[in-house]
Amino acid sequence: MRELTEEEAKVLFSKLANYTGRSLNNLIAPPEGDQTERHVFRLQGSRVYYLPLRLANYATSIPRANLLSAGTIIQGKFTKTMKFRLHITALSVIAPHSRYKVWIKANGEMPFLYGGNVLKAHAARWSEDCPEHSGVVVYSMNDEPLGFGVTARSTAEAKKLEPTGIVVFRQADAGEYLREEDSLFTA
Amino acid sequence: MAPTRPSKGASSGGTSKGSKGSKPSNMSSSSRVSKPGGKPSGKKNVKRPPPQEVKSKARTAPENLARKKKRVYTEAELDLPKLNQITPVGVVKPKGKKKGKVFVDDQEGMMTILAMVNAEKEGQIESKMMKARQLEEIREAKKAEAEARMKEKKSKLDAVKDSIRNKKKNKGGKEWAAESSSPSSKSANGSKSAKGKRKSVSFA
Repeated sequence: MRELTEEEAKVLFSKLANYTGRSLNNLIAPPEGDQTERHVFRLQGSRVYYLPLRLANYATSIPRANLLSAGTIIQGKFTKTMKFRLHITALSVIAPHSRYKVWIKANGEMPFLYGGNVLKAHAARWSEDCPEHSGVVVYSMNDEPLGFGVTARSTAEAKKLEPTGIVVFRQADAGEYLREEDSLFTA
Repeated sequence: MAPTRPSKGASSGGTSKGSKGSKPSNMSSSSRVSKPGGKPSGKKNVKRPPPQEVKSKARTAPENLARKKKRVYTEAELDLPKLNQITPVGVVKPKGKKKGKVFVDDQEGMMTILAMVNAEKEGQIESKMMKARQLEEIREAKKAEAEARMKEKKSKLDAVKDSIRNKKKNKGGKEWAAESSSPSSKSANGSKSAKGKRKSVSFA
């Protein structure tokens, strides 16, 4: 387990910045008055973990080969071409800082959680001024984050779209916790 | 010859003793110097540093040899053409730089990277929005133009329809149409009426 290099940090942040706004700074430097301890990013194998510094320091006492996972949140993994892939486990990090949001109706939740894209008929409302191909967090009508994806159309274009047209392409959904159970947490 | 021999032998004996012999002679000289100093009536009390013997070092001494080391030219001084060098162009590694990865774990470093990334992303989003807005404007303009064209077409069609309706009316009331029709329409009507007459003739 090691710290990220400059290049890796840049790739990771640019991916996170797709979905989040300026408040992403709070991930690195928590606002003053916040009593929670400092969290850090650590790389183990190809996976990136976001965990409290205290845990990261404990983790150094375990041999790399024996360390399966550390902390509770896995951000995602680096591919061999040095691109970063966010996993559904990063949702709890992204959701509070999300820039664009889409709320889906109750009848659209199941299709989304089974891995489908979000159709216009299922989208109840979405953020204004959202450009095409930008990251969005998908919420249920109860404001529970269900997953994230990228917009297929800008807000203005989506309004003119027919009901069966795709509004958001799915990238990760909460259903992956069950579907990808075998591979999600293993290194 | 006999008196010279012993003198030579004495001198040679003194030199053969080397350093051993020289030290006592020094001591004697120092004692000699101290004597006039000790006298109160003599010269002023001048304190001189004890004389030091300056030894010229042999040429073969290691220091002298080191100094005369051949000068080593750097590659830059030699002014060689770049392609002739041992290390190929572009492979030169900076000296004194840390090998391996450079980690960032401090908050400041992370924040600077994040700020850079954020600025870049916001710029991208801004440009996307601008582009989308421009496209939207173009689309609106096209739509307005198409609508205007449609309206024009419709009005033309209506005009044609009206004219046809008028013609029909004209057929119904010939005497009224003859009064109201313009000279251009008159000619057209005249030809048509002639045709109609012919038809009526055939039917009749």
